[in-house]
Amino acid sequence: MEKILALTSNQIMFIIFSAVIVMFSILTVTTRRILRAATYLLFVLVSTSGIYFMLQYQFLAAVQLTLYAGGIVVLIIFSILLTSHINQKFEAVSWKTIAFGTIASILGIVVCITSILQFQFKASTLAIQEINMKIIGRSLLNYGENGFVLPFEVISILLLAAMIAAIIIAKKVKDTKI
Amino acid sequence: MKFEDFLLMRHELLLTITAMLILMAEIFIDNKNKNAIIRGLSIALFSIVTIIGFLPAPTGALFGGMYVTSGMHVLMKNVLNIGFLIVCIQSVKWLKSDNNNDRNFEYLMLLTSTLIGMNFMISSGDFLMFYLGLELATIPIAALAAFERFSQKSAEAGVKLILSSALSSGILLYGISMIYGTTGSIYFIDIAKTFGTAPLQILAFIFFAAGMAFKISVVPFHLWTADVYEGAPVNITSYLSVISKGAAVFIFMIVLFTVFRQIVNMWQDVIYILSVLTMTIGNLFAIRQQNLKRFLAFSSIAQAGFLLLGVISGTQLGMTAVIYFALIYIFSNLAAFGVIAAISNTTGKENIKDYDGLYATNPKLSLIMTLALFSLAGIPPVAGFFGKFFLFTAAAQQGFYMLVLIAVINAVISLYYYLLVVKAMFINKSDSPIAYFKSDFSTRLSLIVCVLGLFVIGFASIIFEYIRSMSFGLLF
Repeated sequence: MEKILALTSNQIMFIIFSAVIVMFSILTVTTRRILRAATYLLFVLVSTSGIYFMLQYQFLAAVQLTLYAGGIVVLIIFSILLTSHINQKFEAVSWKTIAFGTIASILGIVVCITSILQFQFKASTLAIQEINMKIIGRSLLNYGENGFVLPFEVISILLLAAMIAAIIIAKKVKDTKI
Repeated sequence: MKFEDFLLMRHELLLTITAMLILMAEIFIDNKNKNAIIRGLSIALFSIVTIIGFLPAPTGALFGGMYVTSGMHVLMKNVLNIGFLIVCIQSVKWLKSDNNNDRNFEYLMLLTSTLIGMNFMISSGDFLMFYLGLELATIPIAALAAFERFSQKSAEAGVKLILSSALSSGILLYGISMIYGTTGSIYFIDIAKTFGTAPLQILAFIFFAAGMAFKISVVPFHLWTADVYEGAPVNITSYLSVISKGAAVFIFMIVLFTVFRQIVNMWQDVIYILSVLTMTIGNLFAIRQQNLKRFLAFSSIAQAGFLLLGVISGTQLGMTAVIYFALIYIFSNLAAFGVIAAISNTTGKENIKDYDGLYATNPKLSLIMTLALFSLAGIPPVAGFFGKFFLFTAAAQQGFYMLVLIAVINAVISLYYYLLVVKAMFINKSDSPIAYFKSDFSTRLSLIVCVLGLFVIGFASIIFEYIRSMSFGLLF
């Protein structure tokens, strides 16, 4: 009896989180005010971290909260404030675009959901194990199978390149010195 | 893991060291000729990297299978290295101009990092490294497309490239996450064992193929190509149309041959449709173009359709033909873009009409352009003919006769619009043709290399045999 109750409460939490994610995702892309879009995105990211908590991925959930919900949304809002007016409204989209967009989205949803529901997923036989910082740190610097030291290093090149790319885009004013 | 094991990653490590040395040069050299030194240093270093790439190398896997290398991987990287070196030599004149003289280091460093990304992508043994390499090969290019400071079109090209690549990456990642969800692994070897024909897995493959089709600019995912090619600086356009496209085709072929080998009948159908659409629509749109960069953009879309003929066969000959064609395509397209860059940098003219009567004033450039266009069209004396010939053979060998017929018809159509440019240069009269000008050393050097390549690769059968010894077909 207790077990069933626990299961249902879990399901209820999942339904709430996914409803929030779907609703605010749609609002994010349909609103005409850019600051509101950023705020709606915040709710999407927070609810996603809720789903990670339900899966017992505490570390991933914490990263999601601090990095995405905390850091990136603040960055987005900063860049909005620096580049455009808060009250600026985007032009209304024509009804043709809305109609085609809706048809395309619904078709995509139908195709994806039917094929996902048809697939026989195998339940994992592994025991639920708390993934602590030690395991994450070790596998991040592990060079064997399932280790991530190579991607970790390649990302550092990517970030360096992205920084230089950002500098040349921002550096528009002509330098008179050679 | 021993220290010698890093020798397997020779291409990537050498390029990373090169990028870091360029960075150091920018920081520590305090000299009036700093930019000239940086340009010379980078081209010298790239030449050394290209030559070292051909030395015999150990093969194997590293990092638990995340990084794999074999003779074929090394060969693909060498092909890209050659093209990269030619693009860098072609860029020198443009980098010297007043607008860009203070930003040489940024250009060379970003270009190098994209090549590092492509090398990692080709050598990837799992989807994580594949994706990281793909992003490293795309994001810096967007900044390079927006490199022209005072051109609105260039900024537009950058934005369009980054948005369309973000969208395609999203579709690709969704496909990869489905693959991971259904097989429980991101390693190519493990996925290949268990990947089946469940609807979700086929959907995953279609998403993956759509994402890759964006990068290769295959119809109907090609809409970004023409605008980006037109707006970006000529050297970046040639880089995008040759090196980026070549790298994406190579890894797409490797993944199809290894990861998706269980569903070979499915992906052959998908590639069939994409190939027919790409050749036909690319060609029909190319006829209407007036701007030469847009013209070559659509011609490069059509060429990607021809490349898919080799991919669809799934045989060793198919892979050989694709690598061989890509090598020839590098030389012919870079020769055409080299001429366009030389004329555009000197006079700012980029339309086909401006080329009227070019032969009377600049006979050498016209001849090189003609050779390059003949090679793209596939006319016998130049190498392009042999490239197309082997692609058609590879597809016909597997019984795709209809596809080969459509490809031949398209080759004839393409001959028409390539000859339009030749006609403009040789036959059309103009009151004010482009005046005679003398190209600088770097432009001439790159064009001579391209023309030599066009003849040598076609007639030296040793190159084709060498590529064939490295290639493989579907692994069963």
